[in-house]
Amino acid sequence: MSGASLTPLLGPRTLSAPRLLLALLRPRKRPLAVALALSAVESAPTLLSGLLIAAAIDRGFLAGRPGTGLALLGLLAAVMSLKAVATRLTLPVLAKVVEPLRDDLVRAVVTATVARAAGGAEPPDPASVNRLTAQVETVRNLVSALLRSTRQLGMSLIAALVGLLALSPPAAAIAVGPVVLALALFAWLLRTLASRQRALILADERLTAEATPILSGLRDVAACGAHDQARATVDAAVSAQVAATMSMAWAGTGRRLVVTLGVHVPLLVLLIAARPLVEGGHLSAGEVIGAVTYLATGLDPALRMLISTVGGWGVALAVTLRRIAESVTVPVTSPRTGTGPGPFGHRLDAERLTFGYAPEATPVVRDLDLAIPEGEHLAVVGPSGAGKSTLSMLLTGLLPPTGGRILVGGLPLDETPEHRLRTMIALVPQEAYVFAGTVRENLAYLGADTDARLRAAAAAVGALPLVERLGGLDAVIEEPSSLSAGEKQLIALARVHASPARTVVLDEATCHLDPAAEQRAEEAFAGRDGTLVVIAHRISSAMRARRVLLMDGGTTTAGTHQELLTRSPLYADLVGHWRTNEKRTMP
Amino acid sequence: MSDPVAGTAGERVTHEHGDRLLASLARRAWRPLAVVTAATAAASAATLAMPALLAAAVDRVLAGEDVFAAAARLALVLAVMTLADLVCHVAGAAANASATSALRLRFTGHILRLGVGEARRFPTGELANRLVSNTAGAGQVPLALLDTAAGLVTAAGGIIALFLIDWRTGLAFVAGLPVALVIILLFVSRMSGLYDRYQETQGRLAARLTDTLAGIRTVRASGTADREIARVLTPLPELSETGHALWRAQARGGWRIGLVLPLMEVAVLAVAGLGVVAGRLEPGQLLAVAGYATLGLSFIEHVDAVMSVAQARSSARRVSQVLALPTQAPGTRPAPDGPGTLSFRGVTVTRDGARLLDGLDLELPAGSLTAVVGPSGAGKTTLAMVAGRLMDPDRGQVLLDGRPLAELAPDALRDVVAYAFERPALLGGDLASAIAYGRPGTSLAAVQEAAASARVDDVIRRLPQGYDTPAAGAPLSGGELQRLGLARALVRRARLTVLDDATSSLDTATEAQVTRTLVDGMRGRTRLVVAHRATTAAHADLVVWLENGRISAQGTHRELWNDPSYRALFAAEENSGKEEACPVLR
Repeated sequence: MSGASLTPLLGPRTLSAPRLLLALLRPRKRPLAVALALSAVESAPTLLSGLLIAAAIDRGFLAGRPGTGLALLGLLAAVMSLKAVATRLTLPVLAKVVEPLRDDLVRAVVTATVARAAGGAEPPDPASVNRLTAQVETVRNLVSALLRSTRQLGMSLIAALVGLLALSPPAAAIAVGPVVLALALFAWLLRTLASRQRALILADERLTAEATPILSGLRDVAACGAHDQARATVDAAVSAQVAATMSMAWAGTGRRLVVTLGVHVPLLVLLIAARPLVEGGHLSAGEVIGAVTYLATGLDPALRMLISTVGGWGVALAVTLRRIAESVTVPVTSPRTGTGPGPFGHRLDAERLTFGYAPEATPVVRDLDLAIPEGEHLAVVGPSGAGKSTLSMLLTGLLPPTGGRILVGGLPLDETPEHRLRTMIALVPQEAYVFAGTVRENLAYLGADTDARLRAAAAAVGALPLVERLGGLDAVIEEPSSLSAGEKQLIALARVHASPARTVVLDEATCHLDPAAEQRAEEAFAGRDGTLVVIAHRISSAMRARRVLLMDGGTTTAGTHQELLTRSPLYADLVGHWRTNEKRTMP
Repeated sequence: MSDPVAGTAGERVTHEHGDRLLASLARRAWRPLAVVTAATAAASAATLAMPALLAAAVDRVLAGEDVFAAAARLALVLAVMTLADLVCHVAGAAANASATSALRLRFTGHILRLGVGEARRFPTGELANRLVSNTAGAGQVPLALLDTAAGLVTAAGGIIALFLIDWRTGLAFVAGLPVALVIILLFVSRMSGLYDRYQETQGRLAARLTDTLAGIRTVRASGTADREIARVLTPLPELSETGHALWRAQARGGWRIGLVLPLMEVAVLAVAGLGVVAGRLEPGQLLAVAGYATLGLSFIEHVDAVMSVAQARSSARRVSQVLALPTQAPGTRPAPDGPGTLSFRGVTVTRDGARLLDGLDLELPAGSLTAVVGPSGAGKTTLAMVAGRLMDPDRGQVLLDGRPLAELAPDALRDVVAYAFERPALLGGDLASAIAYGRPGTSLAAVQEAAASARVDDVIRRLPQGYDTPAAGAPLSGGELQRLGLARALVRRARLTVLDDATSSLDTATEAQVTRTLVDGMRGRTRLVVAHRATTAAHADLVVWLENGRISAQGTHRELWNDPSYRALFAAEENSGKEEACPVLR
């Protein structure tokens, strides 16, 4: 599904940032090696510039042989052109590293996010989704920037020092000490830089976290006249972000001082030390100029860029990778593969079924015994919070019970292969899922085969006018949010009606429909082959059902509508409220 | 799809609008920008002095003269350069932060002044992205431009210095310049379009992921997580392709630049070498020429900066698209005294060509309970939105006690109108603050009283943290959430209360209790209730029946009940309870 290269990225344990980076780069060894080889070519001008210039001066221009000087400079030009060619060749090679790396990250993040949510974890809000996207993009930019410059700068730094050594060992000796010292100082600074960078990223995230509920609740902010309060909330997060930015900036000044130590100090020392060396015959005029060239045009830009890229982009990369590593952690779930024979028939039995969200909490469902023969039409009713939705999750195997068990066709539900179970039982939740795609794709989502069947299902639940209005089965739903909640429910209902599932659980799946449309949809399912369980939103759903299960926080009663009316005061009350309301106002 | 306003306001928002936004940002952050300018000038001057001082020092070394004075001068210039760089760095960060935060505050302020209809043009994730990422992208532009300008001035200084040292070297440099410039400009304009495409593809992918997560219960129940992952990733190949195109464009442009510039540098050095042979130049001055040629060529480093400006222009455009949405002009007058009569006069609301409300005239008597009924899409919610000015009508007026809502000051308006919704968003922190949202001074007793009226007080008390439970993570069912929303409306004790399907998720027993609050507990206050249930309509003093944005009929529930198509609106209830529930039929 998502490629073998994902395996090292997705796992139950959070990878450290370097390991994640390594896992991302490992499959790209070849292009990386090619890029490294090419960067050796790219650093050739840095390596040779001082030597060639020194030779051009000593043997050419100062020796009165301009031809030789020009020839040596021509050689330098040739080396530089070679560098341009190497760069031209390197970029597509780097693309082969960076673009697939981004693809892998996007796949890993999407897979982990969907898989985690599908495993029952709370799905992230749209803002976190955006944040993930932005972080993946940050990694792409940083890795490409680092590969483009650091690779070359590291080479240039070494090339400048090697060139200097070849030109004049004493000059190289002067330069090496401060450079090493500067690099050591820089390594020490990195810790502070990293912690401040992390604080900055957290400040960014806090801004998103504070702003998102407000942005998604703009209607409510307006309705509450809470503009000032909402604004103050965002303002505080914006100010905190500014403070983190400035703290980061102050830490960055240390980087600049490192450059001064590594480049400017050796230059001054070289100038002061050069005079005795020249007088002692250890250095020629060309060699002095060549040495200064190495320091000023080779070492200076290389060290400067190296420190700003590693200290800026590298630290940002490490921090961002850590955040991503946390988000691509997926708990290992072993899907029920099941080897035995599938269940026989579609009968559902609950035996002493119990569920509580926490061990110490009062169970939402307690010791429920319930038989749902194939073809049953059952309505589940009860006050809000009585555990109706929990029961729908238990019956469909989406929530493992904390006690008791459920049998499907006589076999324990948890021994039924996952894919069998998902085709046998369909749950339609309150929040209908419609995705960007054609109407046909949306309706055939659960595996209906023919257009005729889709149309028949749409007609049965009353979704056909909607399908026609959208432009038929081939019409594309570009923006699912443009459909109303009721329209989305109609599509979800038609989808399940067309599916091969023999057991259908409607969990308030018609709550956004008007009563007439709700009745039509429910009757369409009642007339369909198989079992229907309706978690009732309106009492009318119970009146249509063959049997009613009344749930009241732990205790349950089952029977026909008439039986419950006589047996259960609560049920009579639920129905009665509705009726007396009607009577009182309709003399 | 990733550009929800395409075809409307967004189409008119071009890069120029974005650029105007950027200019206004620069004015906001002028203080740190001024410091950066001064420090940059000092750094540029030091940078320009460096090659000459270095050459002078080397020539003294080669001539066997005392080098300390020259080295001291060089050290001084290097110190100035370092110090100026440090100041630039800190003031630059301050400039970026100040421009970005100014833009974020402006963005937030604008969003909060939008009518509800306008704000919904963008999905939440899209708005959050523009608030957090795109503002940051745009906020760095003033500094990037300043940096670029300083870099170009320094580069120009390097070229002038070449002319001063030996006009021949300057000429050699300038000869290559036009070619280099043309190559670079072509390059930058090409990249900008590709960046736009890349960002759009990314947005599409994120939107698909958001959709899937919103429907995750269906995905779970269908066992289709794998298919969903594949579906979300559909735009990935296009993203990858655009990414590769960006690299190709960079390689093509970069290679030409990489070829032209070194050749220019070597040509200049060759001319200087000949100058040494001819005796026009000292050997040390070769260093100065090399240094100034490098400075002259340093403008190329700012190509990256210009490129990031191209990217930031896309960001600025995306921010401008939101800022271009028309806000509601706030009124200034206080609410008139009055009992709460609400009048709709020729109210028309059009959205993307469709008339949601069509010349609606309606009078809600003060203190009455009015129910709005009608099939889905009849315009009930739109009516509720314009009733308390969450949205302005395109034509017509809504008046409260004779004064147009649009003339009321925002505070006055929110004192006289309260809302409850089908799916309220709970904001403000804990549950007590969520009920008192927008009314920070409200006492806990008042909050609890409102919660009790909305039948949610005991639900809250049963939570371990009670009223201090954070609203964001509170384990609430749809019905409990609705009752909290109702409590939030009740605590306001407003002259007019609008309930848009605000009891749809309540079970029948709870709804009966809440209806009692609505009918008896709020007697005397004007109530406008959008409802699906016959019970609510039956309790109303006036029922307004909407069809296609127009009033099909109005009257009491009993009067309307004679009309079969009115009864059809509540058909399910009619059938299921036909013996007792609809005595009117007999």
